[in-house]
Amino acid sequence: MTFAFILMALLALGGALATISLRNAVHAALALVATLLSVAILYFTLSAQFLGIIQIIVYAGAIMVLFLFVIMLLNAAQPITQADPIPWVRALGVSGGVAIAAALVVLAVKFQDPRPLAAAEPALRGGLPGPIGEVLFTRFLLPFEAVSVLLLVAVVGAVALVQRDPSVDLEETSPGPLPEPVMPPEPLPGRPPARTRVKGGA
Amino acid sequence: MVPTSWYLALSGILFAIGAVGVLTRRTAILIFLSVELMLNAANLSLVAFARAWGDLSAQTAVFVVMTLAAAEVSIGLGIIVAIFRKRASTNVDDLTNLRG
Repeated sequence: MTFAFILMALLALGGALATISLRNAVHAALALVATLLSVAILYFTLSAQFLGIIQIIVYAGAIMVLFLFVIMLLNAAQPITQADPIPWVRALGVSGGVAIAAALVVLAVKFQDPRPLAAAEPALRGGLPGPIGEVLFTRFLLPFEAVSVLLLVAVVGAVALVQRDPSVDLEETSPGPLPEPVMPPEPLPGRPPARTRVKGGA
Repeated sequence: MVPTSWYLALSGILFAIGAVGVLTRRTAILIFLSVELMLNAANLSLVAFARAWGDLSAQTAVFVVMTLAAAEVSIGLGIIVAIFRKRASTNVDDLTNLRG
């Protein structure tokens, strides 16, 4: 168990460092997948089996596919080459991060387990879907319902955000193919040519 | 059995790495990736606390946080796509219009 923890912790840390240091965005996203999978295995060692599976399906599956899709859609894989407007922000950020890490590690080392782990772990019942569902649908029913509303809002918001502006759409598409004189120049009887109709009608 | 403090130390280091990514990365999508890393670090510490107290409530909280992360990613990437359409850039240095 200790060996598994050390191995997965090293994998997670390596993936996290690669995520924030690799220059290609696709490589950074794939490094984050490595971190997410090692965290999922750490969940298994913490007897949270349902969360480990959910981590793999939702995080490493759905969310990262969304990220990679957007990276490729926006062609954002290439690194930014222009000069940094604030050159010292990188050193400041790294030193701040080291300070945060030091503070959190000191706090973590001070933490004492409130009771022996071997006595506390059976109460989790392996973190299987059944026990989690019992807690979720009794004590935490209101947060569960609130999250469903949140997901609905997110779906509607995402659709509204990426929708094209309909007025812009009309201006872009309607004058394009209409006035091109592909047809022979003589107008059809009883019908003004398309070009003059567009000009005069507006 | 691995003590809880080891998991908490790992979670703290992961959180700090994510914070460094948010502060130093310049592409909006990579900043989002770092935020996901920070959320995962917080989730890991919650699961470790759940084992320490033998209480499933923290695991339920992790479930809610994961759903929240999915919603946040869909909205955030939607905003990034909308900005990219107007500005043809995902560099956060270009998006200084709201500077006071």
